[in-house]
Amino acid sequence: MRAYLNTINNPWRVFDELVSEFPYDLFSNAWRTRTGYSPRVNVWESDQGVAVEAEVAGVDPDKLDVAVDANVLTLKGEKERADGSKNEFQRSFNLPFELDNEGIKATVKNGMLTVMIPRKAAAEKRKIAIEKL
Amino acid sequence: MSLIKKNEPEVQKMNRQEVTPVSRVDENDDAFTLTLEFPGVTEKGIDLSLEERTLSVTAENTVETFKDYSLVLSEIPEMRYRAAFELPERVDTAGIKAAHKNGLLVLTLPKREAVKPRRIAITAG
Repeated sequence: MRAYLNTINNPWRVFDELVSEFPYDLFSNAWRTRTGYSPRVNVWESDQGVAVEAEVAGVDPDKLDVAVDANVLTLKGEKERADGSKNEFQRSFNLPFELDNEGIKATVKNGMLTVMIPRKAAAEKRKIAIEKL
Repeated sequence: MSLIKKNEPEVQKMNRQEVTPVSRVDENDDAFTLTLEFPGVTEKGIDLSLEERTLSVTAENTVETFKDYSLVLSEIPEMRYRAAFELPERVDTAGIKAAHKNGLLVLTLPKREAVKPRRIAITAG
């Protein structure tokens, strides 16, 4: 996997490419054309959560879709051109922790999508008693 | 005063990567529409000028930074977009209009009346 070489500099890329390449192997090229191009992103992380910035120039904010499922963040959208042609894109990120679906905030300004997602509060640690038999 | 030392904004300017923006031209009967993609660029960050028949545009994006966050994946650098277009004679340069929306700069380049398609009446001789 070519992504491996980049792992040291960029631990996210491996997850990113895994997620983005996965369906192609199964569903042939039909997927590739459907998903179209991927917008470029900057991803920021902190104890509070993640912040994602994506370049979405020319995408109607109403046609943008941000979804979180456990630890997978998916950005979807559709770009419409002056001649009426449409270009769909989708990009997913597999994050190393769970995200809070409720607390997502997304804004679009000057063709830049900003998504702020808080981490899901960690489940309380539970001590497991060991029974002596 | 040192010749090498530059003040901060100048250094930042120099460090910016220069790129050609994604552009597209559409045509209808009345005008050409030139669309340029400038994600992360504010209206103030765009510099548009016309010299003779050369339309030049430069734009600088702003990359957001988040306090207390660390950057873990960086694909969007600070850039300077630069492009120049040689406008054909058919374009009426006085009537050029520019609009900025959704990170797009949309330029309307009207055609001169003389080149618009017209009907020619035939008179019986």
